[in-house]
Amino acid sequence: MAESPLNVLLKGNTGRNTRGLLRIIILGTIAAAAVSSRLFSVIRFESIIHEFDPWFNFRATKYLVQHGFYSFWDWFDDRTWHPLGRVTGGTLYPGLMVTSGVIYHILRFLTIPVDIRNICVLLAPGFSGLTALAMYFLTCEMSTSPSAGLLAAAFMGIVPGYISRSVAGSYDNEAIAIFLLVFTFFLWIKAVKNGSIMWGALTALFYGYMVSAWGGYVFITNLIPLHVFVLLCMGRYSSRIYISYTTWYALGTLASMQIPFVGFLPIRNSDHMSALGIFGLLQLVAFADFVRGFIPGKHFQRLLTTMIIVVFGAAFVGLVVLTVSGVIAPWSGRFYSLWDTGYAKIHIPIIASVSEHQPTAWPAFFFDLNFLIWLFPAGVYMCFRDLKDEHVFVIIYSVLASYFAGVMVRLMLTLTPIVCVAAALALSTILDTYVLATPGPNPKAKVVEDTSSEPLRSARKPDVGITSYLSKLVVTSSVVIYLLLFVAHCTWVTSNAYSSPSVVLASRMPDGSQHIIDDYREAYYWLRQNTPHNAKVMSWWDYGYQIGGMADRPTLVDNNTWNNTHIATVGKAMSSREEVSYPILRQHDVDYVLVVFGGLLGYSGDDINKFLWMVRIAEGIWPDEVKERDFFTARGEYRVDDQATPTMRNSLMYKMSYYNYHTMFQGGQAVDRVRGAKLPAEGPQLSTLEEAFTSENWIIRIYKVKDLDNLNRDHGNAVAFDRGHKRKRATKKKGPRVLRTE
Amino acid sequence: MRPFTVLTTLCGLFLSSSTLVCADSTLSSSPVALPRDFKPPQAFKNTNLVRNTNLEKSYLRETINVVVENVDKEAQSDYYLALPSDLYAKVGVLEVRDKSAPEKGRLDVQATEIDSSRDLQYFIVHFSEPLKPSSQITLGISYSVLNSFSPRPAAVKQMDRQYLTYSFSAYAPSAYTTVTQKTKLKFPSTNVPDYTTTDLKSGADPERLGTSYTYGPYETTKVAPGSNYPITVRYEFTKPVITASLLERDLEVSHWGGNLATEERYWLRNNGSELLDHFSRVEWTLSSYQQLPSSSIRELKYALKPGSVDPYFIDDIGNVSTSRYRPGKVPSRDASLELRPRFPIFGGWNYSFRIGWNNDLSAFLRRAVDSSDSYVLKVPFIEGPKVTEGIQYEKVVVRVILPEGARNVRWETLEKVSSNGLPSASQIQADVSDHKTFMDTLGRTALTLTVDGLTDEARDSQLVVTYEYSLWDGLRKPVTITAGLLAVFVAAWVVGNLDVSIKKR
Repeated sequence: MAESPLNVLLKGNTGRNTRGLLRIIILGTIAAAAVSSRLFSVIRFESIIHEFDPWFNFRATKYLVQHGFYSFWDWFDDRTWHPLGRVTGGTLYPGLMVTSGVIYHILRFLTIPVDIRNICVLLAPGFSGLTALAMYFLTCEMSTSPSAGLLAAAFMGIVPGYISRSVAGSYDNEAIAIFLLVFTFFLWIKAVKNGSIMWGALTALFYGYMVSAWGGYVFITNLIPLHVFVLLCMGRYSSRIYISYTTWYALGTLASMQIPFVGFLPIRNSDHMSALGIFGLLQLVAFADFVRGFIPGKHFQRLLTTMIIVVFGAAFVGLVVLTVSGVIAPWSGRFYSLWDTGYAKIHIPIIASVSEHQPTAWPAFFFDLNFLIWLFPAGVYMCFRDLKDEHVFVIIYSVLASYFAGVMVRLMLTLTPIVCVAAALALSTILDTYVLATPGPNPKAKVVEDTSSEPLRSARKPDVGITSYLSKLVVTSSVVIYLLLFVAHCTWVTSNAYSSPSVVLASRMPDGSQHIIDDYREAYYWLRQNTPHNAKVMSWWDYGYQIGGMADRPTLVDNNTWNNTHIATVGKAMSSREEVSYPILRQHDVDYVLVVFGGLLGYSGDDINKFLWMVRIAEGIWPDEVKERDFFTARGEYRVDDQATPTMRNSLMYKMSYYNYHTMFQGGQAVDRVRGAKLPAEGPQLSTLEEAFTSENWIIRIYKVKDLDNLNRDHGNAVAFDRGHKRKRATKKKGPRVLRTE
Repeated sequence: MRPFTVLTTLCGLFLSSSTLVCADSTLSSSPVALPRDFKPPQAFKNTNLVRNTNLEKSYLRETINVVVENVDKEAQSDYYLALPSDLYAKVGVLEVRDKSAPEKGRLDVQATEIDSSRDLQYFIVHFSEPLKPSSQITLGISYSVLNSFSPRPAAVKQMDRQYLTYSFSAYAPSAYTTVTQKTKLKFPSTNVPDYTTTDLKSGADPERLGTSYTYGPYETTKVAPGSNYPITVRYEFTKPVITASLLERDLEVSHWGGNLATEERYWLRNNGSELLDHFSRVEWTLSSYQQLPSSSIRELKYALKPGSVDPYFIDDIGNVSTSRYRPGKVPSRDASLELRPRFPIFGGWNYSFRIGWNNDLSAFLRRAVDSSDSYVLKVPFIEGPKVTEGIQYEKVVVRVILPEGARNVRWETLEKVSSNGLPSASQIQADVSDHKTFMDTLGRTALTLTVDGLTDEARDSQLVVTYEYSLWDGLRKPVTITAGLLAVFVAAWVVGNLDVSIKKR
């Protein structure tokens, strides 16, 4: 054969170098694609922090950068949860903020003036590039095929299930946590394969980082012991497993306990007990393995059985006793809600009220994973065919993550990496089978076959079966088509579903140009500029972080939701009559009340639509005073028009939403465009609050809480007097006694 | 300790420290202390005094033309210019010219320390040459006073009209006896519901003619200097009273990019009448639909130099999406940046924001003719939005960031025959510091100029900065970065070749 220049490049030592270089270039391109496909929102809108939680992380990062690490660690935040405050430094996962802080300081050291906001906005895309690399390493451990790793990296780079949590601006814990998750698993597989203390220690190191970054670290804490347990049950105990697991557990637990929010949980919480149990079990197994070398087989069997029963029983009893006596905390509520999807709705309405905690709808799997979801089972099957230790890991991971993803929408995120691994395994097997592994149609071999073995003459026409060019062509082209469809789907989903900052809304002008609805920032900036620095703002907890971040004003409740009673208090104030709410507002020093109202624009995520959750949460604490039933009509409808129940119409939320709204329509009938309801001709009257600001499209309405009346009247009377009603008439008007009897 | 610092010192071998030389600093800018119970020597007599008070803008603009006669036996060169204490503290830019020789530029004016025991505070005007006995000189004194109006009623309803009041004395403040004087007031509109009438002269006082009211002329030979006859006028002012409590303006010169980047940070406030009730969106929607005049800041139009590109308008929480930019035609027409704040700014409300844009440097920078390393930069001192009602700046900080390594920085403001709206160079605080950014090793030379009490009359004033900048200064950064990268690669190579394994090979 002539040595073509291409052959020189592809064969031998140079060939290896060429392939290595090519692989680096491909990985670099994948990382670049992963980063750039997440920049839709930056290009379309601006470099802005998205949604709700990221605003807190952003604020915390700014605090860290301004005040330094130690004061961040001890940060007591008196500008949230007024008047309680929050021990923020001890109740957050600092990994994300510290990561951005370190990047910020490195850039500062190189005197590159990058705004901390831009670091925060671009952190998630940057880390998703790293995730793609980590995915490559992880998949390369699973398969000998060189294409599997690259495919997995490409999948991970653009799969919507991961993009949903890592677009630019989505500055949340998941932004770095998924990288850490994948990389920790890679290190763990490496440790199990090599039985090396170094890899085990590295696993522990990244596990510690993961603990500092995301509450989802519990997944690792349980998955690795489960992997070891299954390996033990399969009779695959080896010193490799012993070394890697004990190294990881000892170092990793110590590392995780350095985080104040985690503290002693690893030894006191049921969620972490399996890791401890497996650690103990592994010691026993190692001991048994050691003993086996000295005792004859039959005795050993008996000894082993008794020992296992005794130790396991003792450990279990000990665990139960400790749990009952309270030394070990029982399973947390969020954990229960994983097993019983109805649990949260009954016991923890706050958790159930979050949309991302809802069970996943089936189409979501296809939406988020596209064709990976049907390659996934095939990939898991491939693992069964070649059942090494690492393949067991993939199988366990797949089973667990599939279940969790079915229970909660947000846990789709943990499923995505393993789907990418499995799908890449399946697809690379297909490609390798059809494209590379073709011993048949080699012309030289065919000649040899022809001469040597007569019976194979029937196979002289080798152009059928998988080795034919036709089948190669069909398979390759269909795979390429699927891949192209996948890319198109991912781009479409990212662009349409996951790239809205939700702080800024986009709409179209009649001439097709983009019009930006910026009501949130309008109102928040008004608060920031024109209210006293210490004015307390009450709103539903969804907006707490945004108010803290953008308006820089103290809030009563925020998205941290650590104190259910406090949230219920706000819910009660919102859902009660003014006479009941006003004392609550006064007691909590509230200066301004903020509500979100979408009626004018047809913005459906407004407070009236969330109102029932406020009622439910308030009812959980004050079942006698707030009743969900009162907000439904006799026919069980939730209405806001003139059919609305008196309780509904007198609630503070209803009044604040619709106050003065009818005047906007200049005599015509006011229409609520979200609920498609025609509103009563007479709007609600407010006596204890006054309208302070309404944004351009009425999405945000801010009310000022009136001070006590100068003449010591109650506010209802004062307002009636100002309107020119006589006192007598006012009281008469005030007394639709029906209201109280109802 | 830090590799970068080491690098910095290595690369900074050919350095020279930057020094600041101000063009004309003959006078110290610090105020002179006068003795207690100081009375200016009665060496002068104001033969005739005409005061023009302009109330059309949101700040007070007064021009006093006075004929001064030396009644002393000796030649005099110091004229004491008196102002009431409350006005004195708020005076923005004060300028005194010799009317007979305006081309000579402004006369030197020195401020004195405020002595709260006196009613009048003094500026000392130094004549360019001493005034001979019984000869006359005509002085043109012009100044602007910030925050001199107060809205009355202090709070109005959203749709109501806004009225401002201004109080002053019928007798112009003076340290010397004045023979005749009169005061002309110019109002923004004919709607002046309240004004003081006097009986200081025969006939109607003031005389009204359209939007201008004239108090006087009065014969005031017998009135002691510094006497007060309070007059208050209250007039309609439909525009907002725009006040920038601070304006920071950065001009960054980049020789490599051929770019002049400007960024301005405003802290705006509307000093007009506050809202009696709270803001009502319904009324606001109606009034903007009918385009009724409002005393709130709805929009600011900012004229940019032709060829300005990449404008931005952001505030603390991101891009303000309501702005619009109309680029101009390059040689002649100005570009227009229409800034619409997130919300209308009513009386008492604040709004802070930043805007910025880029310009081609060649329109502003020239190489000096005589030497190859010397450059001359000519930029506007301030620009600011163009509004009819005017803007008052309580404090302006202009920072010119020159390229890394620029030295021998000199600056001056260009004088014209008429006022350029800026105080004299001695009243401008100048300071040269280092500004480290974008991988600088030494830091760029930054010239900071601070002025208190400016108005938008200074819009067209020019600042000229000359500095020296050699070729090596321009090459410093590429060389530094190359050396840094090389060091990193070498270090990586060395580390990669180390054998750290504990196995025996």
